[in-house]
Amino acid sequence: MLTKQTLIFTLFAIQISAMSTKAAFAATPEFVIEIKNHLFYPAEVIVPANQKVKLIIYNRDPTTEEFESYELNREKIILGNRKGIIFIGPLEPGEYPFFGEFHPETALGKIIARQE
Amino acid sequence: MILSSVIIVLGEVLELTILASLFLALSFRFRYNRHWIVYAVASGGLLAVLYAFSFDTVSQWLGGFGQEVINASIQIGIYFCLLLFNTFTYIAHHHRMTIKHLPWVMALAISLAVTREGSEIYLYLSGFTSSVQQVTPVITGSVLGAGIGLSLGVLIYYLFVYLSPRKSLYIGYTLLLFVAAGMVLQAVRLLIQIDWLPAQEIAWNTSNWVDESSAIGRLLFTLVGYEATPTPIEILFYIAAIFSILLVTGISHNYVSKKNRKLNAT
Repeated sequence: MLTKQTLIFTLFAIQISAMSTKAAFAATPEFVIEIKNHLFYPAEVIVPANQKVKLIIYNRDPTTEEFESYELNREKIILGNRKGIIFIGPLEPGEYPFFGEFHPETALGKIIARQE
Repeated sequence: MILSSVIIVLGEVLELTILASLFLALSFRFRYNRHWIVYAVASGGLLAVLYAFSFDTVSQWLGGFGQEVINASIQIGIYFCLLLFNTFTYIAHHHRMTIKHLPWVMALAISLAVTREGSEIYLYLSGFTSSVQQVTPVITGSVLGAGIGLSLGVLIYYLFVYLSPRKSLYIGYTLLLFVAAGMVLQAVRLLIQIDWLPAQEIAWNTSNWVDESSAIGRLLFTLVGYEATPTPIEILFYIAAIFSILLVTGISHNYVSKKNRKLNAT
């Protein structure tokens, strides 16, 4: 009697957690940023607010760059002709500047989180 | 060009000098031999170059997340060194003991820190070898930044040496408590960055009080991992990091006290 109840409960629990995991895996939106001549293209990236977002950064320069943002709390070194993946968010609606730490005079950009 | 090089290298060097100065000052206080710093910096420098050279390969590991995992591991490693350092120095002071492993702990912490910061400085500088006209301002700025960092380290060293043993222990212990928590926070941030830890909405925003991009904000960030917009999991790990060090210190203190009582009783 007890083992049957335990089994049913366990299966129920697994089912619930599987369902919530599925919901969490609703596709994370991806955005591409390119680094060319120590500049970001695009310099402004509009992303959905309140949601996890994936940034794919392609460094098209031959030299290394470090993608960094104080507001986003992210930093990643991306070697020349390589790409880097960074997850950001969920962000409240607003602007979040980022920069290339190795070339901060020119490599500037911002993430704009917008409510959909 | 010079200014950005100064700031970049200063930031990297500062993370090192703060730790090294505190360690060296406390070594002096507790009359430990200070040769360990040479081995620590040498080994760290070697590992830094190794890391930087193999960066292309290792950063591609684990689906392109090798960089974050390695850096986070280094930060956690430093955290455990600081946990041990705090525990050992507390015991050493209160029970008038000499902990012979202490220099090893300090050396490991510095070695790890030099690996991490050194590799980043190396990668930064290597990007400028191709363009001749940029080399001079970059080198000048880097040397200036390193110089400022080292000077601040010397200042911290003498400040701590000047304090009484008791004061330097308590202030040093408390400071390192937060420095260690800052290491854990950096590691947690990196893991969130690669989605190994869950992404969450921020718990609060203290940018109006201390902005992360201000000079004080950057200093606090470097020192104790200050963050204006932390998420709940970051706050949790920060508190847990501090609590764990206090717990281990307390338990060790109890253990040594009991042992001494038994010895004195016989």
